[in-house]
Amino acid sequence: MVGSGSSEGRLAGEVLAQEDRVRFADLLVAVATTQDRAAFSELFNYYAPRVKSYLMRLGSDNAQAEEISQDVMVTVWRKASLFDRLQASVSTWIFRIARNRRIDVFRRTKKPDLDPEETMLLPSGVEAPDARVDAMETEARVRAAMKDLPSEQLQLLQLSFYEGLSHREIAEKLDLPLGTVKSRIRMAFSKMKSRLDEE
Amino acid sequence: MMKVRSGQIMDEATHAALASGRAEPGLGLFVDSLMAMRGISDLAAEAIAGAALECEDSTELPPHALDMVFAAIERGPQPTTKRSLRYPELSGLPAALVDAIATAERGRGWKAATRGVSQLQLNLSGRARTEIIRIEAGTAVPRHSHKGQELTLCLVGGYSDGRGAYGPGDVSIADPSVRHQPKADDDGACFVLAVSDAGFKIAILDWFR
Repeated sequence: MVGSGSSEGRLAGEVLAQEDRVRFADLLVAVATTQDRAAFSELFNYYAPRVKSYLMRLGSDNAQAEEISQDVMVTVWRKASLFDRLQASVSTWIFRIARNRRIDVFRRTKKPDLDPEETMLLPSGVEAPDARVDAMETEARVRAAMKDLPSEQLQLLQLSFYEGLSHREIAEKLDLPLGTVKSRIRMAFSKMKSRLDEE
Repeated sequence: MMKVRSGQIMDEATHAALASGRAEPGLGLFVDSLMAMRGISDLAAEAIAGAALECEDSTELPPHALDMVFAAIERGPQPTTKRSLRYPELSGLPAALVDAIATAERGRGWKAATRGVSQLQLNLSGRARTEIIRIEAGTAVPRHSHKGQELTLCLVGGYSDGRGAYGPGDVSIADPSVRHQPKADDDGACFVLAVSDAGFKIAILDWFR
């Protein structure tokens, strides 16, 4: 059962400790450089069941979620050499693969439309002051900031950034006014951003 | 054709749409490439999703799942350490783009469009058309208009269209009102990444208005 035991299907688990994120990056590098099966098995045991839950959370049935999560792990093996620990953590990297694979599978059945009211802005052309900061540091700060957020703000971030619900869909799901959802997400995300900008 | 030098900071809805995959994949690739070329990182948005995956429930897989994965790995191609692209000047582009190019080259491959112009359609899902266009040095693309809106990111080399000159990292937007004839600079082939909505409207293009 996905999301059981929590009122709104909140994510109940804990983020990886820093040393585990470092170790998982080492394991993935071992897969890339020496086709290390033991390293891959360990990554599989941690990530495959979570990717499966992610897919079920977004509407796959059990059999489909199993099939896609296995596909995702095959891609992890094949593309391991493209992993760069200076760019992202293993979790973020595998999330991207799962996200893209899911879009591939569902493209015929569901068209993810953007709310017409959502204004989309061009990414800033201003170079971030410390654009080359090690991803490990960014990933650690994001997790620390998430820990400090009130749980309802954390949930909003997860619904928006992880499950891909629009602000309107979140408002309907949680029975909150749209304006409240928007302002809480803005507040949560800007807290996170300010944490990233700290010296 | 409007040249876009830089813009505002993205809002949270845009960050979330791109990170979670709700936005058109072609636009996700476009923005990732643009940001990588300009040295901007948007790791924070995707790291939220990555951290959420860590907090995810652990749903049991059948006991033989790992064996099935190893079997699939053995049936398919072994990991590639080096991607050799048809045009080596593209190999320095952002990794996600190089990967998409390598995959497309193994599929349909480059197709000649007009004299001195060829296209590589990227096999991304979604409704937007996403392709790499190569224009031979000094070649002009025949004068044309656009069915819908089209975003272009100059990747390698440069071109001009009478309204502006574009180099690596420059973005331009065209809509049906634009009729133009882009011409590649004389000093080398020009490559661009183009995402177009081919008549249907993608809200994300409103970015540039």
